[in-house]
Amino acid sequence: MPKSFVVETIKRNQIVDALAKGKRLDGRGVNEYRKLEIKTHVIQKANGSAMVTLGDTQVLAGVKIDKGVPFPDTPDKGLLIVGAEVLPMAASYLEAGPPDESAIELARVVDRGVRESEMIDVSSLVIKEGKWVYSVFVDVNILNVDGNLFDATSYAVVAALLTAKMPRFVLDGDTVKDTGERLPLPVRKVPVSVTMATINGTLVLDPTEEEEAVMDARITLDTEDEGHICAGQKGEPGSFTPEQVLTAAEWSIAKGREIRQKIKEATAGG
Amino acid sequence: MVDIIRKQVIPGDVIVTGDYRPGSFVQRRGNDMVALRVGLAEVAQNGVKVIPLSGAYMPRAEDMVVGKVVNVTGYGWEADINSCFVGYLPGQFVFGRDFSPATHDLMTRFRVGDLLLAKIEAFDRTKDPQLSIRGPGLGKIPQGEIVRISPMKVPRLIGRKGYMINMIADLTACNVKVGQNGMIVVDGTPEGTEKAVAAINLVQEGAHMADLTARVQRLLGAPVTPEPAAEGDSGE
Repeated sequence: MPKSFVVETIKRNQIVDALAKGKRLDGRGVNEYRKLEIKTHVIQKANGSAMVTLGDTQVLAGVKIDKGVPFPDTPDKGLLIVGAEVLPMAASYLEAGPPDESAIELARVVDRGVRESEMIDVSSLVIKEGKWVYSVFVDVNILNVDGNLFDATSYAVVAALLTAKMPRFVLDGDTVKDTGERLPLPVRKVPVSVTMATINGTLVLDPTEEEEAVMDARITLDTEDEGHICAGQKGEPGSFTPEQVLTAAEWSIAKGREIRQKIKEATAGG
Repeated sequence: MVDIIRKQVIPGDVIVTGDYRPGSFVQRRGNDMVALRVGLAEVAQNGVKVIPLSGAYMPRAEDMVVGKVVNVTGYGWEADINSCFVGYLPGQFVFGRDFSPATHDLMTRFRVGDLLLAKIEAFDRTKDPQLSIRGPGLGKIPQGEIVRISPMKVPRLIGRKGYMINMIADLTACNVKVGQNGMIVVDGTPEGTEKAVAAINLVQEGAHMADLTARVQRLLGAPVTPEPAAEGDSGE
């Protein structure tokens, strides 16, 4: 069996024909998202967690916060690492094994959005400089694949971080001990990822799996609270025209604002 | 007419005890006839069978299937037939006995993504099922709307001697290609296709209903006439 989704030639033609008339097969407009649902506190034993459903795409994120040793080049910063894994049950063509390059790209793009927006103030996650810091691990499992994993994963990670409670550690001689107190993470901003694809010259927002199988190129832009673009990733061999990139930037800011509001509502109250 | 006892069963249920012939999805354990799937058990005078409510497609020789080409190898095509087995269509079944990978280009016939209406030529679980497109109407499906239903509900969609599927095709003026694997391709006018897809989805959702034929007729705006045989027939 193939390692990736194969779209039927008939379906490919239908997608292209519909887009030529400004329509999409699922009835959405080109700049519309599918239904987005965000649930938090779904894993009891994690420090924070969120489940995001975007259309038929389903993603589960969990946050684990512990003490750790800082990287030698950033002794004054805590650790923040996002990892993603696509479960073999998430789609019929997937198989068990180490993450492939698309899963690694997914984790890196989502990590970049959180990191470059400076969502978490990592410099305040230090217990003793150069020796002990807080380590924040966000692990994402893709439960069901139906396109636009980038955005679903990003929302799950952000929502999980927003609701995460970290233990308060204090120095105890050479080691650290848990005081038993629980604090929210030092969150400064809420990054929102918006992914678009170009299919036969038409820009579409939130591509489904079928649309992703037909797309020429993909672009993901992350915006933060003030509407500044803080991270981006372009994928696939095709290209965007300068006008399309500008439209993509506008959409990412406008849609980012709407989705940021949804994430904030879903995570209100911690 | 023989009395048929029907009841809903889950795997492990003892359907009936006694000297019966175990049919599909039924196993004899001692004197008990035990269900192997979730579904509707039918106990007739001589045999017991379970009609599963859900399940994957298990290829059988002579089945018509709709397959999606997912790989072109040096000697043939691999097709996704909605099963854990991959259908294999050898080059010589398409190009003839003088097929040679050196002289024939498989990509000229079918490419990745193309849909095929094919027949399962042979399958014995030791090798992947072999497909064939020799036969009237078989081959590449050039256009249409793809509909997927549970393979277990295909017999209901076909109906007794094709009554249901022919009715849907006639009332919507569509060409409907049904694969035993649950893949269906509907080709017709946009309005006809929309109606046919709605009818197929109705069959999928209401396969267990007794008045399904009437419901489909009402959906398609046709006068309600009874199916010329008992409802619930498997159509196989």
